[in-house]
Amino acid sequence: MINFIVQFVVALVATISFALLFHVPRTEFLYCGITGGAGWIFYVLAMQWQSSNVVASLIAVIVLAIMARIFAVFRCCPVTVYLICGIFPLVPGAGIYYTAYHFIMGEMELFSAKAMETFKIAVAIALGIVLILSLPGAIFKIFSPRNCKTRKIN
Amino acid sequence: MPDQKAILQLVVHAGEILLSGGAEIFRVQETMERIAKAYGANKLHVYVLTNGLFASVEDDGKTLNSELRYVPRAAMHMGKIVAINDLSRRIETGKISYSQAMNELDRINVLPFTNKYARIAACAMGAACFCYLYGGGVWDALAAFISGVILQIFLLFTEKQTLNRIVLNILAAALASIVSFIMLNVFGIGSNLDKIIIGAIIPLVPGMALTTSIRDFANGDYLSGTIRLIDALLVASSIAIGVGGVLVGIGLITGVAV
Repeated sequence: MINFIVQFVVALVATISFALLFHVPRTEFLYCGITGGAGWIFYVLAMQWQSSNVVASLIAVIVLAIMARIFAVFRCCPVTVYLICGIFPLVPGAGIYYTAYHFIMGEMELFSAKAMETFKIAVAIALGIVLILSLPGAIFKIFSPRNCKTRKIN
Repeated sequence: MPDQKAILQLVVHAGEILLSGGAEIFRVQETMERIAKAYGANKLHVYVLTNGLFASVEDDGKTLNSELRYVPRAAMHMGKIVAINDLSRRIETGKISYSQAMNELDRINVLPFTNKYARIAACAMGAACFCYLYGGGVWDALAAFISGVILQIFLLFTEKQTLNRIVLNILAAALASIVSFIMLNVFGIGSNLDKIIIGAIIPLVPGMALTTSIRDFANGDYLSGTIRLIDALLVASSIAIGVGGVLVGIGLITGVAV
């Protein structure tokens, strides 16, 4: 349990770091962080339940995209803000590294396995995003605050 | 009420800022159409690509004016996207006059970037956190932190230079790997080179290009989606080349396989 909390907080801080690098307004930092943290926690949970990190990525990205859409409506901001920052923990950075590593080491079997896995993760991420973003906006209407039209951000 | 040409100017300006801030095609197109409609230009035609946009207004079946803008790749600025989104929503309520909207756009266009030191800290923190998430220990995270500091200083330094994006990413990834290697083997910080390097290169990974590409494809903007997908693939390959090159170099110089 403690481990999950630590993982969530670290993923939250990591996501906020990226929000800062992309010049997201300060008021949205926490929401970006929660989106990223939630995505990562579901990734970790999914990895305990089964062993494929492609499936885990798909589950995590679905959760993340739903969170991003809820926050987008709730905070009257474009969904991009939460989605791009929150996706970073799931982007296959490790996949890129190990693909390069095995290629350099001449371990062709491991190389092709890693390259294929990285590609599959990218496809899973794409699928999850497309799936959730194509849901009709009416579903998320309940999270809309009344003052969206008059609220001024920065 | 502003005339149609003036509306076109406003709309194109808004689209330009959105696009250079890194918004997806659909958002740029929709925002432009909404603003035009709010000011009474009902026949606006826009066509937006990743690096340029075309727009024209039509009245009584003939084109009044058309505008074309080339929007070169710029640094992602989410603050601008949020601000324009907000502005367009307020314009739609009809409470903002044309000149007010123009002033707002000029203000948004020069919204500052986050200060340098905060960006260095953020890059370092991001690298350290990801190193930890991918299974590195606390000391590995510290090594990634230092690599992150040096990486962001390098990125800030090369920001003004017109360095090719591929070369830039190869150099940056190589630098991050070298620093990680030095941290581990010279200063003895950390124990897993792979985890440290993975953390250190994360700030370079094309998450934004990949996500925007997916969204463009989903909205049917295949051309723009392809442009961004190629960007993402090139950056990912550049990172792999940078890291791989350093690993080979280390192997050749020290005589041990890493």
